[in-house]
Amino acid sequence: MANFEAEGGTTRDDLVQRVALMETMIAEGRRSTIRFGWIFVLWGLIDLAPVGWQLVVPHSDWVEIWSWPIAIACGVAIQFLGMAILRRRSSVACSSSMRGRSISAVWAMMGLTAMLYFAGAMISHKAWQISFAAAMLMFVGMAHGTSALILRWKAQGVVACVWWIGGIALFFLSYRYWLQIFASEMCFGMIGFGLYAMWLERRNRAAEGQTNA
Amino acid sequence: MPELPELDPVIHGKLRLAVLSLLVGVEEADFTWLRDKTGSTDGNLGAQMMKLEEAGYVAMQKHFAERKPQTLYRMTPAGRKALAKYVAALKRLLGGAL
Repeated sequence: MANFEAEGGTTRDDLVQRVALMETMIAEGRRSTIRFGWIFVLWGLIDLAPVGWQLVVPHSDWVEIWSWPIAIACGVAIQFLGMAILRRRSSVACSSSMRGRSISAVWAMMGLTAMLYFAGAMISHKAWQISFAAAMLMFVGMAHGTSALILRWKAQGVVACVWWIGGIALFFLSYRYWLQIFASEMCFGMIGFGLYAMWLERRNRAAEGQTNA
Repeated sequence: MPELPELDPVIHGKLRLAVLSLLVGVEEADFTWLRDKTGSTDGNLGAQMMKLEEAGYVAMQKHFAERKPQTLYRMTPAGRKALAKYVAALKRLLGGAL
């Protein structure tokens, strides 16, 4: 870390050092320390669980009706628990930025919209319609796309495109491909992306540890 | 010959400049985060934050987060203006090399 003892230097070297210090600190302030990759992995697994459950116990009305609400309730509970544990483990050291709040807002509102949409479709028994399934994939694509634009993160932009392609493909392919498309989206767009994000977070933390050492 | 601009002595201190540069990219940050990022000590950072507060460049707010006391700092509009002026002065002194 920089030596902060010298206070009032005005030589050219001092001024150049000030410029370098500002650049380093601005970049440091923008570096995100939020751990979010696990949330994608969690929701990928949570969304695959009811599909697996229905495959294991086929032709059961009870499983068909309740597997999704139970899985979503479990997902919400696990996410809140995980976030509470992470908050407790990390120190109180934190910063909040407009960018961070924007990303959180995008995903929170996407989650809420998807949940309300899902609840409406389930209650009205219209969840089987192809447009319902396509819209769900589009919601996730929109959240990924918005997040990618805010973060200027190409990898997430690619993931958004994959979700959108899946949503469009559902309109053109027969309903029997729904499961394959859904499972592929979950494996690549949720679990795969989440694992990639976790790897990046781990690498950033290691780099930060080296800088602070 | 044009007169060389003066650098704001409050901002020119390295630790204070580091803190302002960190705060410029975030809405608010707590004392511990600033201390960790700058690698300074509690005492030194506390003293420098007081100088920035007295100059009106940062605003401080104390509250409790999960029963732990937390001191949050945010840059004021005057602080942003002063930092922008400082950067402009630096640019002129370095001959537009920035």
